[in-house]
Amino acid sequence: MTVTSHDNVPTTVLDGAVKDYSRDKVYVLTAIFLAVLTIIEVFTYAAPDFPVWADELLIPVLMILMAVKFFTILYVFMHLKFDKPILTRLFYMGLVLAVFVYIAMLSTFRIWFDGKHG
Amino acid sequence: MAETLTSRPTLAEADAHQAHAHIDADTNTGISNTKLGMWLFLASECLLFGGLITTYLLYKHPLEGPTPHEIFDIPFTSTSSFVLLMSSLTMVLAVSAIERGEHQRMRVWIGATAVLGATFIAGQIYEFTVFAREGLGFTTSRFSSAFYTLTGFHGIHVTIGIIMLVSLVLLSLRGKIPEHKAETVEIVGLYWHFVDVVWVVIFAVVYLIPS
Repeated sequence: MTVTSHDNVPTTVLDGAVKDYSRDKVYVLTAIFLAVLTIIEVFTYAAPDFPVWADELLIPVLMILMAVKFFTILYVFMHLKFDKPILTRLFYMGLVLAVFVYIAMLSTFRIWFDGKHG
Repeated sequence: MAETLTSRPTLAEADAHQAHAHIDADTNTGISNTKLGMWLFLASECLLFGGLITTYLLYKHPLEGPTPHEIFDIPFTSTSSFVLLMSSLTMVLAVSAIERGEHQRMRVWIGATAVLGATFIAGQIYEFTVFAREGLGFTTSRFSSAFYTLTGFHGIHVTIGIIMLVSLVLLSLRGKIPEHKAETVEIVGLYWHFVDVVWVVIFAVVYLIPS
């Protein structure tokens, strides 16, 4: 069943169907989840010697936390999870292109290796 | 007439019963051109911010002037980040409210989003002022130029978002955002969430990862 975007459907005639269903609870729980991840991120700064992310694990842990936050916002708040797949593909085109282009650029400048970059 | 109207799915009904929750626009893709355009714009923004973040990574070890971790105030920036994160919640609640036809509630949530965004910007201005006082000007080092350009560009994006939010409230007060135009709020919301997503990356890469 298809409805065009410019059809005016007054919510008052929908027998309460709209009122009864709400995604708000999901959004609030998602925000709490994101806040907890942010607290963990800040904790890595306050306690850099914590066993979970001590030494070389700090950067991977921060990257994972960042990625989880990134995709949670993308899929829940930006509705990619509920929307048409073409939008996901469109966004990933830009994202993947950016990641590859800038990994190539960072590699050109030898950022992955110790020592001078010049 | 009533039967015709009730037989049509709303966003909420579609969400409850279908895999993909949206109302189809009368375009080839079923997505309105405005929404498609916004997603395309956001995809291109990945390249813009990717470039700025990469430049920062290349120049983050300054040859002169203060180093990042001498001047960063992580507790302060963490609070700003939290404020921006919560603004995403208020924004999505505004979209949810307009989908239900609750205009007053939508205006309240959008107003809250704008206030949280303005708080973030105020924090950024304060942070820049402190850094400048401590000797980190835009031209002090390549690090400072890259840092101010990256975070400044993000701040400009937030400011543009605040202007869009205030415009939405004004339009709504004049009755120009009926339920069938709820997508306008969603599109502004997409922009706002993207600005938040970019800050998630900046906060981790610029502020938290040690030199």
